[in-house]
Amino acid sequence: MPRPPLTAAGRALSAVAERPLAGAIRAKLDAALQPSHLQVLDESPRHGGPPGAETHFAVVVVSGRFAGLSPLQRHRLVHAALSAELAGPLHALAIVARTPEQWDADPRVPPRPPCLGGSKHERRGAAVDATASA
Amino acid sequence: MSGTLRAGLRLAGSGWAVRGWAGRRRLSQAAAAEGGGAEGGGGGSGSGSGSREAVERLVRAHPVVVFMKGSPAQPLCGFSNAVVQILRLHGVEDYRAHDVLQDPDLRQGIKNYSNWPTIPQVYLNGEFVGGCDILLQMHQNGDLVEELKKLGIRSALLDAEKDQDKK
Repeated sequence: MPRPPLTAAGRALSAVAERPLAGAIRAKLDAALQPSHLQVLDESPRHGGPPGAETHFAVVVVSGRFAGLSPLQRHRLVHAALSAELAGPLHALAIVARTPEQWDADPRVPPRPPCLGGSKHERRGAAVDATASA
Repeated sequence: MSGTLRAGLRLAGSGWAVRGWAGRRRLSQAAAAEGGGAEGGGGGSGSGSGSREAVERLVRAHPVVVFMKGSPAQPLCGFSNAVVQILRLHGVEDYRAHDVLQDPDLRQGIKNYSNWPTIPQVYLNGEFVGGCDILLQMHQNGDLVEELKKLGIRSALLDAEKDQDKK
């Protein structure tokens, strides 16, 4: 069951300072990609995390380093910069990776899909329901 | 993705197929300690369901293979659901979907195989294409229609366009 959304006060408190993981993500992406525009969004509350959970993030990275690279290559660059975090507390990462020209042409960021519970549904060692096609 | 799309849920003729995992051995020592639901950590095994060979067999088993949380009938993660919905929009209902929440070895093995840290993962013709963000981009810029065409799959959106032209 997802937790109830933060109260206005809770949101205000969370918004005051960038928390440690958000700060680390920002620092590493800055160093690796020298972005002209960077947004680091903690989406953890939308996935049932308590305030300050820092588990689910979305990043909007605008960098000339992406020029000529496929979406897959761009995302891999972002993953490489955040490999330690992804091996640790960073559970989910939505990525928007554009060149400055692409960002100027379209600065919209697609909304991330709503949480459906994710790993809270995990059943380790449980028998699997196998459904065959007709 | 909204409730509207989910309400439109239907299983076409052949529906979707999930490989039967019942009876497969799992190497207990290979289960990654993921603590708190994190996707990271080590693990993967020599000959279990998460081995390179096992994963290779899975990704080559069908033109469209998805590793996700939950199933196409009941996705358990918003990002996995987005992949299912996009495929559904294109009329792709016949594909292999693997629920990594059912198999910790596979969950780690698929990340090792693609060197990609998150789920969902989409494979077209045995090749890793990306996750939810990339599939969405491909859907929006027309690339997905083209990639499906290469696999001999005609996107339903082409027919939708045709119908619109006729009106």
